[in-house]
Amino acid sequence: MATVEVKNLRKQYRNVVALDGVSLEARAGQMVTLLGPSGCGKSTTLRCLAGFLEPDGGDVRIDGESILSIPSNRRGFGVVFQNYALFPHMTVAENVGYGLKLRKCAKSEIHARVVEVLRLVRLTGLEDRLPREISGGQQQRVALARALVLKPRLLLLDEPLANLDARLRDEVRWLVRDLQQQSGITAFYVTHDQSEAMAISDMVAVMKAGRVAQFASPREIYQRPAERYVANFTGEANILTCRTAVPAGETRMRVGVGGADLEVDCAPAARTAGDVELLLRPEALRLAGPDDTAAFRGIVTKCAFLGASQHCEIELPDGNILKLAAPPNARVVPGESAGVVIDCTHAWAMPKVPA
Amino acid sequence: MTAAATPFGDAPAARYGFGLLVVLLYVFLLAPLVTIVGASFTSGMLIEFPPRGFSLQWYGQFFQRDNLVAALLVSLRVGLITAVVTSIMAMMAALAGQAMAGKLGGWFQIGMVLPLLVPELLTGVGLLFFLYKIGLGRSLLGLQIGHILMSFPYAYVSISAALRQVPPSLGEASSSLGATGWQTFRLVTLPLVRPGLVMGAIFAFINSFDLYTMSLLLKPVGGTTLPLALFDFLTYEFKPTAAAAATLSILLALVGVALVQRLVGLQRAF
Ligand SMILES: Nc1ncnc2c1ncn2[C@@H]1O[C@H](COP(=O)(O)OP(=O)(O)OP(=O)(O)O)[C@@H](O)[C@H]1O
Ligand SMILES: [Mg+2]
Repeated sequence: MATVEVKNLRKQYRNVVALDGVSLEARAGQMVTLLGPSGCGKSTTLRCLAGFLEPDGGDVRIDGESILSIPSNRRGFGVVFQNYALFPHMTVAENVGYGLKLRKCAKSEIHARVVEVLRLVRLTGLEDRLPREISGGQQQRVALARALVLKPRLLLLDEPLANLDARLRDEVRWLVRDLQQQSGITAFYVTHDQSEAMAISDMVAVMKAGRVAQFASPREIYQRPAERYVANFTGEANILTCRTAVPAGETRMRVGVGGADLEVDCAPAARTAGDVELLLRPEALRLAGPDDTAAFRGIVTKCAFLGASQHCEIELPDGNILKLAAPPNARVVPGESAGVVIDCTHAWAMPKVPA
Repeated sequence: MTAAATPFGDAPAARYGFGLLVVLLYVFLLAPLVTIVGASFTSGMLIEFPPRGFSLQWYGQFFQRDNLVAALLVSLRVGLITAVVTSIMAMMAALAGQAMAGKLGGWFQIGMVLPLLVPELLTGVGLLFFLYKIGLGRSLLGLQIGHILMSFPYAYVSISAALRQVPPSLGEASSSLGATGWQTFRLVTLPLVRPGLVMGAIFAFINSFDLYTMSLLLKPVGGTTLPLALFDFLTYEFKPTAAAAATLSILLALVGVALVQRLVGLQRAF
């Protein structure tokens, strides 16, 4: 159990600024996910934590003490790599027992702990196989066991599921989360898959070009994103440019958009921002029936039948386009007018930030 | 679709043509060896092929020639020391080369194989001057240094190729599990590059055993290596003793190859 603080971490490779002031923290036992597109600095952050890379500036503290001067082999962190990084010349048991052997544990103790951890990752019986004699999912579970058997203070996982197919990914993902929660180990998890990030983490850091764009719980990241970039990265989003926006109470604003005037929750920064954008997730929108009072009216520009629903695009009077799912049998005809009901509790105003 | 049996396709003509090509290639490669091995067993007085009758007398002759046997022993000793020293040096150099990033690493690589790129004669002459300057001219140690220099690139190429096959993440994984640099080298890197290391050592030995020009320039006073002694011998007498000596050398090389097979074959990881 450890508290981790990452403060203003900086790292530059010759001419690329990989980390431009990354700050995060993980409370004891939390799983913190670094989420972001390729090249945004997720691995670099993790490698600085692991001690494979020395940051140019900033600090990493565990329970209040800086660890930057401690070499990676004395940090006592477990690391799981995307390519598993199992030792190809050692059996599964030897791989898992490697760290214990280095710590000069007795043979019988090594054996007992290896057997125990292999049971946890459900690999009992594969002790004497070589890594190349087991499947990718099994290899990744060996890598996980190898890190966990040492009871690390901190677990670092860099896209551990990226090389697995969808079904295995699901299975190993829950295994990782279960083991992390059972053992109460603080963990950092790198991924560029937003659903993976939301499902297993306590906190998500959405990264953007070497910075943390937002650091919050999965719910907040999804429902109350700080800016368009975060909203787009965390799920399907309609983002409309507002024509007018005035603060209305502490955390609310009145926005004029698509020919309607709505009062919605807003990000604090939106109240003082020059331009404001309105986020409407799919669950905030519904095609208006004959008895509904539609908030928006527009012209249907596109409609595709998907089976369980229809995908529609509706152009609003101010040029904004709304994408929504309509019931499969609703009458939606391109070129005709349609109404949209919105649920303002799922609407969110955010400041417009230059990309 | 499966790959064609030959690079020229699957037609019978292509198959026979390709087979013929392979046979010719083997004849070309093996003819000198077969000739010399055959000639060593002759019961006649001259190196000739096909041999006349069969006898082992020339092997007896070889071992009675003290100067040839002495030269063989020098060659063996120099070759073994070369193999050991070269592979240790090459292992260290390969590790250093891997740690260097970008352009620097490329230049380092070229530097390490330089003895292959410069004519042996020039390297030898330069080294001879240098060795005289430091008081090692025409000494056994000087010869040894020359052999190590000329054999180093072979060991380096073999070992650094093996090292490139080891993903850097293995070293990081090992470190994160608590290993020091030396432990990682001993428990992870070394076992994985061992086939390349053994191969490099054997290349170095065979290369050293074969060196002529360098040995000619650096040979110690009163001592000589087998290739030099054989050449001297052949200048005065064209006897099958030389063929017997050559056959023994070939045998040695075969033992080397068998050793590689065995050691590399025993590696679980490859
Ligand atoms: N060794 C290196 N030398 C130079 N630039 C590097 C190096 N490693 C990473 N970079 C650069 O630093 C930036 C951040 O890289 P990083 O590996 O942290 O990205 P990432 O978020 O992990 O991406 P991915 O999802 O593709 O793994 C990228 O622009 C990358 O090109
Ligand atoms: Mg990465």
